[in-house]
Amino acid sequence: MLVTRNAADLCALLVNELYGQLPSVCFSPASPPVAALLARGRSNVRDLALHTSLNPKQVRHGLALVIQHNLVFYQTDHETATTTYEANPQASYHLVRVGKILDVIDRKYGTMAKNLVNDLLMLGHVEVAELVRYHRLKHSPKKAKMNGEQNHDHDHNAEFEDEDENGLEYGDPSDPFDDDSHYVNGNGIAHETTEDVTPIQANEVYDTLAQLIAAGVIESVVATMFQSPQDLKASVEQECMKEFPNGVRGAKVTTEFDTMVKSQIKAIGVERATMKRKLQESALYEPSNIKRRKLANGGMSNGFAGDSGGSILRDEPNTVVRLNFDKCLVELRNQKLTEHVEDFVGETTAQVFAALLASLCKKVYRCQHDQHTIMTEEEEETYFTGVRVTSEEIFDHLSPGVDVSTGIGSASEEDIDIRFAEKIRKYPPQIQGSHLQGTLDEGDEVLGSDDEDYDHSGEHLKGTYVNGHNGYHNSAAQNGTKLGGDHSGEGHSSRAEQLRQMRQHLLILAEAKQQFVRHCGQNEWTVDFGPLIQQLRYVELDTMIEDNFGRQGLRLTRILREKGKLDDKTLPAMALMRKPDVHVKMAEMEMAGFLEVQEVPRDNNRAANRTMFFWFFDEARTLKRVLDNAYKSMVRCLERLEVERYNKRNVLLTADRKDVQGKEEEKLRGDIYNEYLEFIEVEKKLLSQVSRLDDLVSVFQDF
Amino acid sequence: MDEQTALLKTQLYAACEEACSGDPDRLFTQEDLTALDVIPPKDIKKLLQLIQILTNERLFAPVHLHSGLAWRLRPEAEAAKYKQLTSHDQVLVYEIIDAAGAEGAWQQDIKRRLNVQDNALRKALKELEAKRLVAQFTTVENISKKMWIKANIKPSSRATGGPWYTDQFLDEAFIEALQSVVMSFIKNRGSYLSKGERSARSVSPVLPKKGVINGAASEAAVKSKKRTADAISKDEALVMPAAKHRKTIRLPLPAGYIEYPTTEEITAGIQAAEVAKGQPLKQEHVQELIDVLVWDNRVEEIRMGNRIGYRAVRIAKQNPSLYSKPGDDDFWEPRSNGLTSVPCGKCPVFDLCEEGGPVWAGGCEYFDQWLA
Repeated sequence: MLVTRNAADLCALLVNELYGQLPSVCFSPASPPVAALLARGRSNVRDLALHTSLNPKQVRHGLALVIQHNLVFYQTDHETATTTYEANPQASYHLVRVGKILDVIDRKYGTMAKNLVNDLLMLGHVEVAELVRYHRLKHSPKKAKMNGEQNHDHDHNAEFEDEDENGLEYGDPSDPFDDDSHYVNGNGIAHETTEDVTPIQANEVYDTLAQLIAAGVIESVVATMFQSPQDLKASVEQECMKEFPNGVRGAKVTTEFDTMVKSQIKAIGVERATMKRKLQESALYEPSNIKRRKLANGGMSNGFAGDSGGSILRDEPNTVVRLNFDKCLVELRNQKLTEHVEDFVGETTAQVFAALLASLCKKVYRCQHDQHTIMTEEEEETYFTGVRVTSEEIFDHLSPGVDVSTGIGSASEEDIDIRFAEKIRKYPPQIQGSHLQGTLDEGDEVLGSDDEDYDHSGEHLKGTYVNGHNGYHNSAAQNGTKLGGDHSGEGHSSRAEQLRQMRQHLLILAEAKQQFVRHCGQNEWTVDFGPLIQQLRYVELDTMIEDNFGRQGLRLTRILREKGKLDDKTLPAMALMRKPDVHVKMAEMEMAGFLEVQEVPRDNNRAANRTMFFWFFDEARTLKRVLDNAYKSMVRCLERLEVERYNKRNVLLTADRKDVQGKEEEKLRGDIYNEYLEFIEVEKKLLSQVSRLDDLVSVFQDF
Repeated sequence: MDEQTALLKTQLYAACEEACSGDPDRLFTQEDLTALDVIPPKDIKKLLQLIQILTNERLFAPVHLHSGLAWRLRPEAEAAKYKQLTSHDQVLVYEIIDAAGAEGAWQQDIKRRLNVQDNALRKALKELEAKRLVAQFTTVENISKKMWIKANIKPSSRATGGPWYTDQFLDEAFIEALQSVVMSFIKNRGSYLSKGERSARSVSPVLPKKGVINGAASEAAVKSKKRTADAISKDEALVMPAAKHRKTIRLPLPAGYIEYPTTEEITAGIQAAEVAKGQPLKQEHVQELIDVLVWDNRVEEIRMGNRIGYRAVRIAKQNPSLYSKPGDDDFWEPRSNGLTSVPCGKCPVFDLCEEGGPVWAGGCEYFDQWLA
C-alpha cells in the first residue's frame, strides 16, 4: 500500500474512529502513535513521546492497544534491547471495511459467526477459550457485567504490563460496533443481534469458531505476525547467516543460503497454518457439509454428530486467534465481482457467478501476492497451478432458490454455434492496458492453434435437453421454441436440465468482454482475477469520466487509450465531433488531470503554431491519482463527521447517557430527539459514503 | 521530328493508354515503358527523345518517386487545356493544381513552391479562373485556407469531410440520429426482449445486491426510464414491492450466438430503412459510427468465428425501448461509484481543500447541500 499523505490521514482517522472512542481510551489515545508512526516511519517509544507530546507511559498504553489489533508492527533488536515500532497502514485501512466484512460473514456463515468476528474485532487477538467466554457473556440474553474480567498475558508482548487493564477496557459492553450499527454495513441496514432465548452453548461457539478457522476467516496467531514482513525476512536471513560463518560468497553458497532462507520462511508459513489444517482434515468441515447445514436454514444451533472441529479447538484453549483480513478481502472481492456481473449481464447470471466464486475461493486465500507474502504449502500450490472447479461443484453451491432458467434470452438453435460457445481457453489472458482488442486477439490465437478445442459435454447435454424440451412443448404450448428464455418452467426440471441451464450462464460469462470466467477445460471453470480486476479498474474510471465529462469525454479518453498519442487533427475526425468542441473537452479533462499533452516543436523556434500537440492518457498515473482522491475524499467525509459531531455535541452527550442509551425515543425530549435523528441521518450518509469510496479503493488497490 | 518518331510517339501513347486502362493513376517507369514493346529494345536515346516530346506536349506528367522518375499519363483532353495557357506563370500554377488532383492545392503552398510574387500568383490564378480551368473551394480541415482545384473535378471526401459534413460544417444532428438508428438496430438484433409477464420469482433473498434487483423501484429507474402509459396511471404503485410490476427488460442471448449484426448487416439495414437518403452511406462510414458507439461504451465487439459482430453493453440495464435519443436515458440505471456521488468527486476546489486551509470539510458548502 502506497502511503500518501491522504492515506496516512485516513488511517489515523480510522483508528481514532473505531478505537479512539472507547471511553477509557481517553487516557490512552490510540491514534496519535499511529499517526506519528505513519508520518515518521519506524520509531521507538522515546521518539514517539517526543512527536506526540504524550508521556512515555501514555505512548506505551496506546501502543499496547494498537498492537493488540495488529495496527503496528514491532521489532526488538536483541543486541541493543530497543524496540522499534512501525505502522501497518494496510491493517489500519482495513478498519474501514469491518462493516462490510461483518455483513459478508453474516451472510455466508451465519449470525453466530458474525458475532464472533465482531468480538474478535473488539478484542484484537485473543485466546480461543477467552474469546468463547467473552462471546457467551456478551451475547447471552442476560447481559452479565464483566467485572474483574481478565485477559491473558500473551508472551509476545509481555513488555506491556498494563495488558490486563486493556482486557478490562475491551470488556466494556458498549462497543463501537454495536453503537454504530449503521456503520457496520454501509447500506444502512441495522444488524440486530438475534437474541436466543436459550443461553449460547459453548459447543456451538467452538464449532462455529472451528469452521471459521478452517475456512481461513480467522487465523491462529504466532509471534512472527507481529513483525513486518520485511523485518521478518531480515531476521530470518540473519538467523541463517549464523550457519555461514565465512560469509555468503560465490554462486553455490548463495544458492544454499537462499534455499535455507526460503525453507525457513516456508516453515513459518506452515506454523501459521497448523491449526487450520488440523481442522480442515476433520471431515466435518468439508464445504459441502457447511452448505448442508446452511441450507437447513441457519441451523447452526442444531446439534450435529461428531463435532470434532470444536473438540479439537477445545483441546487447545490457548491458541491465540485473530481475524484474517486477507481472506475477508477475498470474500469482499467475490461480492464486488458478483455485483459487477449483475450490472453487466443480469441477476440470475450473477447468482451463478456467486456460486462459482464461492466454490472457487475455498482455495483462494488472498487477493494479492508480493515478494513478502508468506504462503502456506497448499496456497503455494494453488497459486502456481491456479484453481478450477467443475460445473457440478458450482451447482452444489448454487442456492436452490435461484431459477437458472431465467435471465437468458432465447434464440433458435441454428443461430447458436456451440463451437464458439464452448471454446476452451487453456491460458489466462495477458494484462494489456485497457483496450479490449487484446482479449479478442488472444482468443483468436487459441482458436487458431487448436480449432476443434471446445467442450463437447455441452453438445451431449444439449441432446438431453432437446428431448426434455419437447416434453415441455407438449405440455405448455404457449412457450414456443425458446431456449431457457422466458418459458415458465412448470414443474420441477431435473437436475441435469438445471445443470445445463446453469452452464448456459457460465458460458455467457466466459463469452463476455470482461472475461469473468474462463472455460479452462472440459467442464472446468476458473476466474482470472488479475486481468478481471484490471478491467474493473477501467470500468470504474470510465464511470467517473462519463459522469464528469459526459459521453463525449469518455469517447475521447477511450480513443486515446486505444490509439496511444494522437494530435489535434485526427482526434475530431475519429470522434465525429467538431474541432472546437474537442478542444474544450480536452482542455477540461487536462485541467482535471485525466489527460496529458505533449508538445513536439517542429523547428527550433518552438512557436506555438509550429508545434504539434499530442494528447495521451497516462493510465498508471491516472489510476494513482484517482486512488489518492478517493482517500482524500474519505478523509473529508470523516472530518466532516467530526465537525457534525462537534456541532451536535450537546445532543450526543445526552443520548450517550447510560440511562438513555437504547431507549432514546422515550427518554429524550421531542426536539432533542429530532435533532438526534437528524444527526444519525447525517452520520449514516457520511459513513455509507466512506464505504462506497472504499469500494473504489478496493478495486483500485486491494483486490 | 521526323515521321518515324511521330509514329512511335503515337504508338507509345496508345500503348500506355491501353496499359493503364484499368487504373488511370498508373505510373510508368522507364522499365515499364521499354516493356511495352513499342520502341526498339536498348534504344535508350529514342526513348528519351519520345518521353521528352510527350512531356512537352503535356501528355506525360513527370512524377518524382523515391526510386526515381516516373510518368503519369494525361488524357489528351486535359493536355489540350495547357494550350489555352498564355503565360509562363499560368502554366506553372496550373501544373501544381493539376498535380494536386482532388485534394486541391493551398494558395500559400503554390506560392512557396513557385517562389513568385503574390501579385503574379494572384494574377495567374485570376486568369486561370476566368478560363474556367480552376476553381476555389474550402476544405473542412481548415476553413480559412484558400484552396484551388481543377474546375472539372470535385474535391475529395477528405476535403469535404464525407457524409458527415453539410456545407463544411459537421452535421451533428445527422450523426446523432444515425447513431441512434445504429444503436437500435444493434439492440434489436443482439438481445432478447423480455416482456416481464412472469413475476420475478428468480429473486432470491440471499442475493448480494446494491439494493436494487428489479430496477423499477430504484430511484434512478424512476427518474430516468420512459414509463409506459399504464405505469403513469398508477404512479403510487411505485412504492409497492418491486416484483409486482417488473418491467420490460432486454436479456442477453445465449453464448455462441452467431447472429449478432456485423458492419455489413448494419449498413444494409440503414440502407433498407432509407434514413439517409440524400447521403449514401458506405460501409466505412457506418464503421465510423459503430466505432464511436464502442468508444462511448454503448456497444461492444463480439467475435463470431472470423466475423465481428456488435452487441449492446450492460444489456439488462439498457433502456429497453428501441428508439431513444443518444444521451441521458440510454440506461435505466446509470453506473455510479463513490467518487461520482460524493461532493468531492465534482468539487472544483478539491485540490485546495485541507484542514486549516481556505476550503475545508467542516465549512464546505457542497457538503452542506449534500447533507441537507
